[in-house]
Amino acid sequence: MEISIKQLEHRYMQGTPFERRALHDVNLDIPHETFLALIGHTGSGKSTLIQHLNGLLKPSAGSIRMGETILEAGGKKQDLKPLRKKAGIVFQYPEHQLFEETVEKDIMFGPRNFGMSEEEAKKTASRVIEMVGLPQTVLSKSPFDLSGGQMRRVAIAGVLAMKPEVLILDEPTAGLDPAGRVEIMELFYDLHQKNKLTTVLVTHSMEDASKYADEIAVMHKGELYLHGKPREIFNERKALQEAGLDVPETVQFLLKWNEKSGQHLSLSNFTIEELAKSLGQALKKRGS
Amino acid sequence: MLQNVIIGQYYPASSPLHRMDSRSKLIAAFFYLFIVFLANNWITYGLLIAFTAVTISASKVPVRYLYKGLKPILILVVFTMLLHVFLTKEGDVLYKAGWLEIYEGGVIQGIFIAMRLLLLVLMTSLLTLTTTPIDITDGLEHLLGPLKKWKLPVHEFALMMSISLRFIPTLLQETEKIMKAQMARGADFTSGPIKERAKAFVPLLVPLFISSFKRAEELALAMEARGYRGGEGRTRLRALEWHNRDTFAIVLLILLTLSLFLLRS
Repeated sequence: MEISIKQLEHRYMQGTPFERRALHDVNLDIPHETFLALIGHTGSGKSTLIQHLNGLLKPSAGSIRMGETILEAGGKKQDLKPLRKKAGIVFQYPEHQLFEETVEKDIMFGPRNFGMSEEEAKKTASRVIEMVGLPQTVLSKSPFDLSGGQMRRVAIAGVLAMKPEVLILDEPTAGLDPAGRVEIMELFYDLHQKNKLTTVLVTHSMEDASKYADEIAVMHKGELYLHGKPREIFNERKALQEAGLDVPETVQFLLKWNEKSGQHLSLSNFTIEELAKSLGQALKKRGS
Repeated sequence: MLQNVIIGQYYPASSPLHRMDSRSKLIAAFFYLFIVFLANNWITYGLLIAFTAVTISASKVPVRYLYKGLKPILILVVFTMLLHVFLTKEGDVLYKAGWLEIYEGGVIQGIFIAMRLLLLVLMTSLLTLTTTPIDITDGLEHLLGPLKKWKLPVHEFALMMSISLRFIPTLLQETEKIMKAQMARGADFTSGPIKERAKAFVPLLVPLFISSFKRAEELALAMEARGYRGGEGRTRLRALEWHNRDTFAIVLLILLTLSLFLLRS
């Protein structure tokens, strides 16, 4: 699904002394099947922005187009269910939203709300539980008997069961152990490619962004600060640092390497594989 | 979505009312709750309204803001007023249609009751709007201090209160967060028949309960880890100070009470 955000502005608690502008003049187009990483310091407006994508928050000014649906400031009330089915959000710490007696029922909650039949929802539940790497036996357990990491996976399964076309991930790996992080991120990346999803990943991690994203958008103080391909963004180290961020460690390494060795390795080799390859070549050249 | 409830919410500003000692405000508000019931004719109600209006203007809380917070209570006020209008049978008949009779006494009684309710709510809202929750609890602990002699756990009550006050915003935030998460999964909290809507709250309440219990346990642990052992010998960061303006407010209230006694019929 194509996403197009135009001059989006959001103010919290409008009309009270606590009014606060969280977003200002955000313009962002996300083409179909793009993996976009949304990066920013805490309080930069990332979470506010993604909550507009399925109508949880209404724009104070500007508009958002999600495929056929248009959400705009002062627009008429519309049925948001079709949009919410298509745009699945995995919130921060999604395990807090579990409530049912069994894992299966909890996973079925979304699909049932969106009108899937009981039987089909059950089938979906047993399919997605495998996808998130948990055994079928978990389905009959209470979600509150599981470990934190397992609960996270169940909650993610609950969103995947809705078969969304747009996957919005708000720091899905926060608080997980390193192995779990990689597994979950690989799962999302796999889904993104196989099901031709449009994915928006909110993250603090430049490493994750460099590994998975086609495009990176940097938020700073409620505004869209930088937007482009990863290698374009990583060339703007000064600007990133101003926004309280930095380039990924691979790029930091490349910069240091170039400084110390006097060579000019390209900064666009920022994945671990590319970095290893270009280093190998550079060393060989030196040796010969 | 939970932005319009102002009961218990502090309005940051610098006004004479904000600067008053929380003890004098508590005493005054408590006292006011009683003397509102002294009013029983137009003059005494007028006097109370004037007093409340002056207090509101001294608080620097915008009237529009107050009104927004009063909106949910207005339904209750109108409902009680209508009950009195229809059910009180005193004085001359003003209007008659079939079985429906409206008496003059009913209308007056309805207006009085509505005013009484509004005045009560306005004054108590003003107390919380101009006093931070922490100040209120400190004030309460002070005022109830003498009860310690009778082994009443005043400090513990105050602590319980400040903890619960402290966690109201957290709980609201959490509610909003979980509501959003369930709405993203297709839950509908705002439409449908009552029965369905009540059921729709289960996915909200279960996670809220669980996180509240968890948080309570964590807090207890954190307090114990830092050696908390009750109020005995604890000093305060913020000392309460009684100023002339506090005495002035109390005197004003006593004068109001005396005039109410003189003017009521």
